Amino acid sequence: MMYYGSIVNETDTIIDEVTMVQMPVGNSYTGLDQAEIFCHGGQYVLKQILQQIYKFDIRPAEPGEFTRRAFLAGRIDLTKAEAVADLIASKTEYSYRSARDNLLGELSQHINTLRDRAILLLAEIEAAIDYPEENLDISEKKNQLESIEFLISSIKELIDSYKSGKIIKEGFKIVIAGRPNAGKSSLFNLLLNQNRAIVTPTPGTTRDYLTEWIELDGHAVSLTDTAGLRKSVSAIEKSGQFYAEVEMKRADLIIWMADISKKSWKSSLLYDLEKLSKFGDVLIVLNKTDLANKTAFKNISSAIKELGIYGLILSCKTRSGIGKLKKDLINSINKNMPDLTDRLVVTSERHKKKLTNSLKYLKNAQKGIQSEISPELIAFELRQAVNKIDEITGRIYTEDILDNIFSHFCIGK
Amino acid sequence: MKHLDFDILVIGGGHAGVEAALVASHTGKRVGLISLDKTKLALMSCNPSVGGLGKSHIVKEIDALGGVMARATDATGIQFRKLNLSRGPAVWATRVQADRTAYNQYICQIINNDPNIEVIEAAADAILVENGQAVGVELDSGESVMAKAVIVCTGTFLGGLIHIGEKKIKAGRKGEKAAYKLTNSFRSLGFEVGRLKTGTPPRLDGTTIDYDLCEIQPGIEPKPYFSYDTKAIEIEQVPCFLTYTTKETKKIIQANLKKSPMFSGQIKSTGPRYCPSIEDKIYRFSDRDRHQIFLEPEGKNNSEVYPNGFSTSLPEDIQLKAIKTITGLENVKITQPGYAIEYDYCPAYQIKNSLETKLIANLYFAGQINGTSGYEEAAGQGLLAGLNASLKIDQEPPLILDRAESYIGVMIDDLVTRSTTEPYRMFTSRAEYRLCLREDNARDRLFDYANRYNLIPKEKYSQFTILQKETDLEMAKLSKIVISVAKLGKLADIFEKKENVSLADLLTVPGVEYDDIEPFIGSNGSYLSDADAIKERVSIFIKYKGYIKKQEREVSKFRNMESQFIPEDMPYNELNGLRNEAQEKFTRFKPISLGQASRIEGVTTGDIAALSVHVRKYSNKQKNRPEVE
Ligand SMILES: Nc1nc2c(ncn2[C@@H]2O[C@H](COP(=O)(O)OP(=O)(O)OP(=O)(O)O)[C@@H](O)[C@H]2O)c(=O)[nH]1
Ligand SMILES: [Mg+2]
Repeated sequence: MMYYGSIVNETDTIIDEVTMVQMPVGNSYTGLDQAEIFCHGGQYVLKQILQQIYKFDIRPAEPGEFTRRAFLAGRIDLTKAEAVADLIASKTEYSYRSARDNLLGELSQHINTLRDRAILLLAEIEAAIDYPEENLDISEKKNQLESIEFLISSIKELIDSYKSGKIIKEGFKIVIAGRPNAGKSSLFNLLLNQNRAIVTPTPGTTRDYLTEWIELDGHAVSLTDTAGLRKSVSAIEKSGQFYAEVEMKRADLIIWMADISKKSWKSSLLYDLEKLSKFGDVLIVLNKTDLANKTAFKNISSAIKELGIYGLILSCKTRSGIGKLKKDLINSINKNMPDLTDRLVVTSERHKKKLTNSLKYLKNAQKGIQSEISPELIAFELRQAVNKIDEITGRIYTEDILDNIFSHFCIGK
Repeated sequence: MKHLDFDILVIGGGHAGVEAALVASHTGKRVGLISLDKTKLALMSCNPSVGGLGKSHIVKEIDALGGVMARATDATGIQFRKLNLSRGPAVWATRVQADRTAYNQYICQIINNDPNIEVIEAAADAILVENGQAVGVELDSGESVMAKAVIVCTGTFLGGLIHIGEKKIKAGRKGEKAAYKLTNSFRSLGFEVGRLKTGTPPRLDGTTIDYDLCEIQPGIEPKPYFSYDTKAIEIEQVPCFLTYTTKETKKIIQANLKKSPMFSGQIKSTGPRYCPSIEDKIYRFSDRDRHQIFLEPEGKNNSEVYPNGFSTSLPEDIQLKAIKTITGLENVKITQPGYAIEYDYCPAYQIKNSLETKLIANLYFAGQINGTSGYEEAAGQGLLAGLNASLKIDQEPPLILDRAESYIGVMIDDLVTRSTTEPYRMFTSRAEYRLCLREDNARDRLFDYANRYNLIPKEKYSQFTILQKETDLEMAKLSKIVISVAKLGKLADIFEKKENVSLADLLTVPGVEYDDIEPFIGSNGSYLSDADAIKERVSIFIKYKGYIKKQEREVSKFRNMESQFIPEDMPYNELNGLRNEAQEKFTRFKPISLGQASRIEGVTTGDIAALSVHVRKYSNKQKNRPEVE
């Protein structure tokens, strides 16, 4: 039902002319009685209207409340509900698109197709167990293995997509790290295009880490400046370094800065490289090249070769090398970004965990079929695999799903 | 005031009724067992075979709970087999062909010698109810018998209608009167009554079969028994035979399909998909040229044969024509035609997990009235219904078995959470915790209950606890004995690393059996329990250990959801956020826990999430309520 009319205040003065759509129970998003008011734009008018409305027994919705109600009303399933949560939190265009696809149920559809395939295989194995005396047309081992290999590769693909999924959802995370005084904060400010971080000649200036959003080639990138890493006695610095390492672990890319104006920079870097091997992608940046003369420059090139690294040569002071650095960063981001046109992306950590579990059981089942273990054990593994999938779409209800829902949608106040 | 005749009245002397009556008697109740014919207790109206996949597990559980079916089958068995031996112990299944007559006589003798049970030869016409509580039964003589609880185990007798071709006969079994008035009594009490169908093949004169043309299927030795107490019984086993239908059979049946009441539309109720009639099989799998038929003897001194796989409701002349086209049956004589039978049942959402009806207190349903098929399924329910009726009279809470501890629990939970529209048969695949629910460990799972409710002699229980302890000792011993792989001889090939290995680890290797490691065990401790029993238990426990551990984790998750109880008086219609369909479902099924609620068909995660919110709210309210003195 659509209505047209005006909203008036206590003195019957018209605030705005509006249209209102009333949605009957069962048809609305939340499954409850619902009305939507369309007014003319403008913050002021909007405020006035809300003021009037709040005079009745009406309150603004809590964050995520509509979704929560829609979920409780059975209007959307769990994956969709989680997609809505993603959508609300989406920071980038990519993120929005992937959340929307989830919302359209493409992910749950795809997952359900995989489930059906697994169930088909399971049903065959079960039939052979429960009807040992019938001449059943059971597929051969080869076909069973084919089925399970298909499942394994499909689920692997989904799990792999989480890396991109996480980037899509949370943005690409770059962390600048290095020894004190290397010029990390200088680079941070440079990429940010503003003097956000304090820069001084004193080593150990940055104590806490600092994160800002920047845009690179249309991607949302979170950029973090960290405290310089060195052996330290001060408790404050130590704790800063602890967090620096935590940030580095979470990074999609680490920019490790070395100060080539230091005499011992080569041996320091050699030492640092070994420590860096436990982290993910690292880009080595050799800073303060403006302080190097020609012979020193040659030394740098040969040192790079010697160390066997890809070293980017930079001067924060003269900005030489900054264009190249940006290009490298964009390359690295694109390498990790999925092509969303033909692929589904898992963005939820919970989904990834369940898929990983499911994969584990599928692999057990695969091994079982290969080595021809007793079919009830293969069935056990397959059943677990299916259960984990069902926990994604909410077909199987367990306490951790409950917990997830309660933490996402603050139910039960 | 009316004179109270019995504690418990059991209507129907089939497999459910017999177990119900016996367990009620063991727990000290006076039982009236209403049956049309004193001599026809626990008849096997279908084939005289007990057990098979899933069903054998139920029989073992019945034995662990002190029931009679296992012992009766062992004592009257004429062929003993164990299915799936090439697979793991969780899916081993004992199956025994019993001597139909001997089985019936064995049970009759036990019932007739039981001083607490009186068989009342009559038909039950109505349930007598006062203040929403069953108080007795009205018999066809017009007489009323009073009791504190009534258990209904009417099998196919409730509104039974036999179909043979176009012929329709009101009967509960061939030649036996059906119960029509009782259905009306249920209807007028407010029960929903549905209709199911099942079928049975013709019986053959065994002397007219040419067995030389069939494959012989002998029993196995040593005989596998159902009861843990059965000691070897000396009998010569009788073989079964396997034969096949032919292209001729197919032709005849295809030409006469319309004469089958299933196809002519005369029968509208649903039959079981897992046990189709021969006409159904030929119609649905028209590309197959032959179907298996098992020829099963009905008894030692009985030449009748049951052609398993040839269930039919075609007219008698067509039955004969078709069956004569089967290899080896060219000259066969039919002693009794096959038929389809329709009967009434009460969809099981109307009972609680205790098998008591939700509508009428102290009224219990067991067996086919709940939509199941099979002797074993019926007997399992009968036992629990009898026990729970008895407990109710003693004002004790009922015994409710869960899905993680027994097949009986799986069955009852399935029944009460799903509206079965076809007869329900047990399969091992119905049990999600199958690896933990095995034939070998039914006592480990249920003996504590049996002991608590005095269903078994005390000394049996203490003997078993000794067996359990000695099994543990033996397992500990096997983990302690470590030998070098080099000493293993042939077995050594399995190991990549040539190191030391414990005997327990050795036993987990596929293909390694207890006998292989026995030479390394050294002096055998002197155990009180049977050495073979310990051996078997140890082998199975060790071989399955890894899986059982994993499965137990699942079980604890499951139990967590099961233990979130929903109050019985939950006002579903007033709960916010529940879909109408969910409100309707919950009101209808009245789930006892969130776990059970989530298994109700058509219920979504959203419904459970919403429900769980209300359950938490409700239990918080309960907690905050001031203590009432
Ligand atoms: N000549 C020269 N000086 C630079 C360059 N980059 C940074 N500096 C100087 O080096 C000093 C340290 O720079 P910061 O950016 O504060 O270094 P940092 O790595 O953040 O140091 P901490 O926070 O203490 O770990 C400052 O005095 C900067 O001006 C460069 O490319 N050339
Ligand atoms: Mg700094």
